[in-house]
Amino acid sequence: MKKKLLLVTGVVLVVLLALFGRDLLGLYRLQDYLDTTTQAYEAEGPWPQTADACLACHGKQGSSLHQRYPSLAGQPADYLKTQLHTFASGQRMNPNMQPLAMSLTEKQIFELSDYYARQPALDNHGFDPDPALRAQGGKLAAAGACMACHGEHLLGQGPFPRLAGQGADYLLAQLDAFAEGRRTDPSGSMQAISATLSPADRKALAHYLASLATAPK
Amino acid sequence: MAEKPPSNSFDLKRRQLLKFAGATAAVGGLGLHALPASAEGTARVRDSDDGVLDVAIIGAGMAGLTAARDLHNAGCQSFVVLEARNRVGGRVLNHDLGGGQISEAGGQWIGPGQTAVADLARELQIDTFPTYYQGKTVVLGGEGRLEVDLHGTFGTDERIGAKLSELSKVVPSGAPWTSSRVAELDKLSVGEWLARQGIKPEDRSGWDTSLTLTGGVPPARMGLLHFLSMINSASCDYMKLDSIKDSAQGTRFVGGSQLLCTRMAEALGDKLRLACPVREIADWDREVVRLVTDQGEVRARRVIVAIHPALCNQVRFQPALPEGRAALQRAWPAHSPARKTAMVYKRPFWRDKGLNGHTVEVKGQVLWAWDNSPPNGEIGVINAFIVNAMVPSEPAAAQRVLAQIYARSLGDEALNPIGYHDHDWGQADPWSITCVSAIPPGFWSQHGESLRPACGNLIWSGTETAEIWAGYMDGAVRSGHQGALQALASLRQA
Repeated sequence: MKKKLLLVTGVVLVVLLALFGRDLLGLYRLQDYLDTTTQAYEAEGPWPQTADACLACHGKQGSSLHQRYPSLAGQPADYLKTQLHTFASGQRMNPNMQPLAMSLTEKQIFELSDYYARQPALDNHGFDPDPALRAQGGKLAAAGACMACHGEHLLGQGPFPRLAGQGADYLLAQLDAFAEGRRTDPSGSMQAISATLSPADRKALAHYLASLATAPK
Repeated sequence: MAEKPPSNSFDLKRRQLLKFAGATAAVGGLGLHALPASAEGTARVRDSDDGVLDVAIIGAGMAGLTAARDLHNAGCQSFVVLEARNRVGGRVLNHDLGGGQISEAGGQWIGPGQTAVADLARELQIDTFPTYYQGKTVVLGGEGRLEVDLHGTFGTDERIGAKLSELSKVVPSGAPWTSSRVAELDKLSVGEWLARQGIKPEDRSGWDTSLTLTGGVPPARMGLLHFLSMINSASCDYMKLDSIKDSAQGTRFVGGSQLLCTRMAEALGDKLRLACPVREIADWDREVVRLVTDQGEVRARRVIVAIHPALCNQVRFQPALPEGRAALQRAWPAHSPARKTAMVYKRPFWRDKGLNGHTVEVKGQVLWAWDNSPPNGEIGVINAFIVNAMVPSEPAAAQRVLAQIYARSLGDEALNPIGYHDHDWGQADPWSITCVSAIPPGFWSQHGESLRPACGNLIWSGTETAEIWAGYMDGAVRSGHQGALQALASLRQA
């Protein structure tokens, strides 16, 4: 009986596959995708989560393909926390981030910073650096001793952000903001360094940093 | 309103004229061109004498232009519209696709109950046509694909929609903070509320997408009170807010929504100044307000501020605004700068296959793509809201990524587009900052009372201030009417 039933089920399946094969397979794969993504999502807690609101600009697990919106993945938690606090206080200016940061509780700020710090930093494949600018940027980075604060591979540490693989347009916008005094850092070093760089130098640095690997060999 | 007495008899006389204009507006109804030519002429001469206008309108979006049109129709000639961009329309914008065709890059739909914008369109002789939804929508997720006829909806669980509709009855659209249940409802995010409804995993993505499109943020950060006020705008019917057929995404304008603005602007002549951002608003608490612009100083007795609250933060106010209003502007959410794309094809080939051209991706790059072809399908256009950070910023690369997605949903013909347009509202220029308002929990309880009251001679307008359909084009039109009425009435009283 069991055998017969299995046989019938098999026959029905074959007929269905012949008729709706593509559709059925598509549906099966969709269901499978839903299961996998739901499982991965719930590993961080139940739906919905605060970080949902960050996805549009900062990307899946904090890696943005958009060169102007920064990737948060692998950023030091200290750095992220400080940025959310300074956005909320108005010390760091950004019309989109400021009101958003103001609406977050301390607990949410802690959780978001912790979450993004734990996500794997990915290389910036979406960016195609200019080879000459990249080489020039490399020299400037060495001369400017970026590694002293941002770490040996510029992956960030403590209050200093990861620069390797960050969005090129974002990096340039920050260097410009430091140079023009629109963004400040507690020690004033970024302002001092950026002010000595010409606009062309800043662009070269952005090309170099954006194309740096996030998992150096 | 704190007003100093008129400084001289000259002023007094022109005020009497204005009084007449105001009275005509109030009594005359539709026959608003009633100000006698001689009086009009006098008013104009007077203005050029003392250089002070009756009204300055900041922003040539749908709200500011509607206000200007009403002032003009009421016989007021002493006004100017100051626009920062070198175009009109604000958050409505037509992409020119060539050959006389367009696709909308900004706000584009109207729906049931949006009578203010519908009336305006009729007056401007702009026709409407239905959004194309006949056929099957394609749902994509990973390697998965499903064709399903959603009958002009987004496939939302209507049982949950009905619960929201019921709740929305106690949340007045124009003043959610006055709701009888404000304490309880404004504490919650839509997400917290949905989590209590036992939403199935397969439906969560749908709620994430629809709240992102309608409210500017996924449920986790959307205030329940605000979302309910939006449903309240839609006659307390969730399906009239968040669906296509018989809903707020159901009707388009022939020639695109920006046409309403360009038509209104045409009638303004030199009263419209483009590329004229206002940097400072001084003496707003005195009889004559001074506006410092990139094209010099403008002085006016009343100012209609028809720009987004977040944009007000980029203007210096002298003296500083009252704390309530200042706090509202600082806290106004501005993190929803949508990126909207248009892929152009020779013809809407998908229609022959029984598809409606709509694609929804589960946790993918495309939030929602839809058939945005012109009324008779002369060419095929797929518009989409995309997840900005999941698509390359470079337009050519974005085009390739999206064409591949459409090939999976609509067929290989999608790999050969004849055009592509990409508008990232957060980056295109600094004059929008954001699109719809992702009002978080607690916002209205704290700031609601500061939304509308005028500050001195500043009258707040723009869709965010509308009593009904705030955030929509219809709200913009309503707020424009309201701004003009307020300006005329207060000038008449002066």
